[in-house]
Amino acid sequence: MTDPSKIKFLVVDDFSTMRRIVRNLLKELGYTNAEEAEDGAVALQKLQAGTYDFVISDWNMPNMDGLQLLQAVRADPALKHLPVLMITAEAKKENIIAAAQSGASGYIVKPFTAGTLNDKLVKIFEKLGQA
Amino acid sequence: MAKPIKFDESCDNEDLQSLFDSIAAGSEVPLQAAKETPPAVDASGDSDDLQALFDSVSAQVGESDTASQEQPVKHAQVEGSEPGSVFSSLGQMTRELHDTLRELGHDKILGDAARTIPDARQRLSYIIQMTEQAASRALNAIDIAKPIQEEMQARSEALGARWGKVFANQLSADEFKLLATDTHAFLNAVPQQAEATNAQLTEIMMAQDFQDLTGQVVKKVIELVENLETQLLRVLIEAKPPELHVEAPEGMLNGPVINADGRSDVVTSQSQVDDLLESLGF
Repeated sequence: MTDPSKIKFLVVDDFSTMRRIVRNLLKELGYTNAEEAEDGAVALQKLQAGTYDFVISDWNMPNMDGLQLLQAVRADPALKHLPVLMITAEAKKENIIAAAQSGASGYIVKPFTAGTLNDKLVKIFEKLGQA
Repeated sequence: MAKPIKFDESCDNEDLQSLFDSIAAGSEVPLQAAKETPPAVDASGDSDDLQALFDSVSAQVGESDTASQEQPVKHAQVEGSEPGSVFSSLGQMTRELHDTLRELGHDKILGDAARTIPDARQRLSYIIQMTEQAASRALNAIDIAKPIQEEMQARSEALGARWGKVFANQLSADEFKLLATDTHAFLNAVPQQAEATNAQLTEIMMAQDFQDLTGQVVKKVIELVENLETQLLRVLIEAKPPELHVEAPEGMLNGPVINADGRSDVVTSQSQVDDLLESLGF
């Protein structure tokens, strides 16, 4: 696998506390290169302007929610290859299925642990490696 | 630390309070007047549009006064009929609700219920403020303590490795002297660093004091909501046609599941998420 500090993450959540926690967890796992966005609209702008390798997004956010962000990413030829991991408090089966059908790379329900985040990241990177 | 929001039990916000007062005062007088002479609502100072709507409804009601049993039929007509009848049906329902509320004295109850909402809102803002503060305090303390711990770990590991060489007889006398000096310096530094870490642990502990405060405020809000619910339910039960069964709209943005008991439409653990996705081939 490539150097984890070379992988550039975008952490999208409207609560700064949660962004901070996710970034800290990523840092502990060796992924030191991460930036933040406070909603889907800001995230999409950043994604279109910069070069990111991985998106971790909340669902329920103002302006543009996580599902809309996911759909916008998948609809953009320049971004559609990006892995998008959803970390959200939305725990209805309907939500999980909608996210999967829209092309989410993984789905984590809050509250979550560092172990879960690591598992999902490893799994997503494995799949990317195969592709 | 920011100052907690001060609660004023009697009035939450002067502007809102005066708005409520004016509405409460404004609604009582015309209600009295309306009791005797229904068309004389002009005295209330309503806007022209509302007045026009009310007038058209009054006319409509005049026609169908005898046929008030036709109500369900009227509601049914709303779908797919011309806009005019939608407005008149809506107006009629409003009028009925208005009358019922007045007869039962619920306008007062609703006023009281509405007055509690700014209070609840302020309390909820307080909770956001307190919890955010607590989270920042804890995370700041961790940011300070972690590098200290990491440095102590690295230095002790390095010294340990060098002492390993001493016992393996791989160190010269000069190297040993240097090791002794380094070890001494390290041991002198440890208590200070441990103390610094300890101070941050205490800070993290202290940051949890929000739980007590927010807990109390949450209880208060639950009380307010319960009151509001009871009052609104009473109004609804008495004012709503029985055949109108309203289902709460359920969307995709529900937030955390507060109580999963007896629900089959939600997952309660990450493993259930994984199983569901796997069962669908994702």
